[in-house]
Amino acid sequence: MAAQAKHDWADDEDLDETTQTTADLPPPQKINNKDGSTTIIEYRLNDNGQKVKTTRRIRFITHREVVNPRVAERKSWSKFGLSAKDGNGPAPDTTSVGENIIFKPSVNWRKDAKDEGKDPNAQAMKDKLKDKKVKCRICNGEHFTARCPYKDTMAPIGEAGAAADVAAGMGDDGAGEAAGVGAAGAGKKGSYVPPALRGNRAGGAAGESMGGSKYGERDDLATLRVTNVSEMAEEGELRDMFERFGRVTRVFLAKDRDTGLAKGFAFISFADRSDAVKACQKMDGWGFKHLILRVEFAKKTA
Amino acid sequence: MRPILLSGHERALTQVKYNRDGDLIFSVSKDQQICVWFAHNGERLGTYHGHVGAIWTIDIDPTSTIMASGSADNTIRLWDIKTGKNLKTWEFPTAVKRVEFNEDGTKLLGVTEKRMGHLGTIVVLDIKVDVEAEQSDEKALTIVCDESKATVAGWSYLSKFIIAGHEDGSVSQYDAKSGDLLYNIAIHELDCPITDLQWSQDRTYFITASKDKSAKLVTAKDLEILKTYVSDTPLNSATITPKKDFVILGGGQAAMDVTRTSARQGKFEARFYHKIFEDEIGRVRGHFGPLNTVAAEPTGKGYCSGGEDGYVRVHQFDKGYFDFMYEVERERQNRLNQQQQSTA
Repeated sequence: MAAQAKHDWADDEDLDETTQTTADLPPPQKINNKDGSTTIIEYRLNDNGQKVKTTRRIRFITHREVVNPRVAERKSWSKFGLSAKDGNGPAPDTTSVGENIIFKPSVNWRKDAKDEGKDPNAQAMKDKLKDKKVKCRICNGEHFTARCPYKDTMAPIGEAGAAADVAAGMGDDGAGEAAGVGAAGAGKKGSYVPPALRGNRAGGAAGESMGGSKYGERDDLATLRVTNVSEMAEEGELRDMFERFGRVTRVFLAKDRDTGLAKGFAFISFADRSDAVKACQKMDGWGFKHLILRVEFAKKTA
Repeated sequence: MRPILLSGHERALTQVKYNRDGDLIFSVSKDQQICVWFAHNGERLGTYHGHVGAIWTIDIDPTSTIMASGSADNTIRLWDIKTGKNLKTWEFPTAVKRVEFNEDGTKLLGVTEKRMGHLGTIVVLDIKVDVEAEQSDEKALTIVCDESKATVAGWSYLSKFIIAGHEDGSVSQYDAKSGDLLYNIAIHELDCPITDLQWSQDRTYFITASKDKSAKLVTAKDLEILKTYVSDTPLNSATITPKKDFVILGGGQAAMDVTRTSARQGKFEARFYHKIFEDEIGRVRGHFGPLNTVAAEPTGKGYCSGGEDGYVRVHQFDKGYFDFMYEVERERQNRLNQQQQSTA
């Protein structure tokens, strides 16, 4: 902006000078190479007044195409009707070139098309999880906690250590934090706790797949409601934006089931309420993808 | 591939057609004009004026000298392709929905609409493929379709039969000389009109498209269904690609039906199926309305499609299209290559 503001009509005079100086530039050169190609060297001044040398090597290849004589004859026909006044070559008002389409027939094109859509996300996730091992925080087995066969009968082992293990297990720092806090309140280890009472623990991991609202409430104190989100938004983008203010435990972007486009609102949960306050202040009115975000604290659902 | 967009029409396209050599594309639409384009760069050669109603159909004689068009103004007109001159006009009591030249261009059939007390008919006209010649006024033959009106029709190999597709989803075979009905077979679901009928290069079999969301490959001799291609949308057009064993289907939810269906996406894509294995092998996006017509280039290098959106899109296939082969096809090719090497 500053550079633009400085621009002044008076500066325009400089242009005349530069056009004069082009006369000082060395004349363009043309060299015929031994291999049949031509080297063209040209000089010009760029916007900063610096001399730029452009060297191009060009080879002319005559491409011969055999055309049916009938077709060749028709190419010489004169135009008529509405096109009678058009010059040679396609007229821009009737003919244009569309955007490139990649069409590759394939037996399982349907699957390919889907993979392509998923790919960037899947790849990023893979990279993230590359050096992390899956570890169940209930039985320490090599599976996700949500998949643990003892999920309903055992409480997580090692309350203090759990948080760290879980962080590794989920590959998602935020979820681990929430679960760790919940584990402390889960009561005596080994004793049966009905799922309804295990609600807090479920907040991060298992609860997500089961629909968190049923199993205990989320910590709405540190949850922001973001509205006026662009259709093209992705959860990852939102996470990146909000992670600057602190640890984000959950990002939920409402998406249309049929089209996969965002519906225009999202919830961002922070681990810490103070981070959420900071984010709310900073991000309210933030421009994101042609729209201005509106950020406020989520209201508790009735 | 980069499609070429032809925007010479102001209303929905009704038919696009290549000439026999594949260098010219003819397009007709409801806006009462005919456009002819060069296929290689999309340059418009000219327009033909004279019709005073929506034009439903067009066909080009095999030598690309004259062209016939059928319109809702109840006429078939014959045109000089080179100059755009209207050579001859035949009047009919109702709209003309389909015209087609036979293999040598000496006969032209026209399908007329059933309306205002008139039954649908298929008429045959004798044509002299000469710009100067006087064309006869007389109809060589009239076939009356009293059961279900014909929507599309075409000439079989050697101009032996006239094959017609009907509104009730059946196809009939008529003797092209006498006009006698030989067979009538229901191949599509009842009361799903046949929307298109296009021939293989040798005219021994043809493909039909229907509103029942399927296309069928049928023999001309005994109307035997060879293949069925099932899609998920009503079809408006189907064509057989030369060179590669594919078929291209075009369709989409009609604008008037959109509010009655749950599908949000209109499925406005050209669908490619393998002609023999009946699998869908790909789609080409681009139109933002249903595809009303598709045509394959006679040399097999490309295809074009005309949509309800008023655009014609001309596509030239990439290498990937020509390289595509099923595993069994590839094995066979390898075997043949080996045999050739061993004999050499």
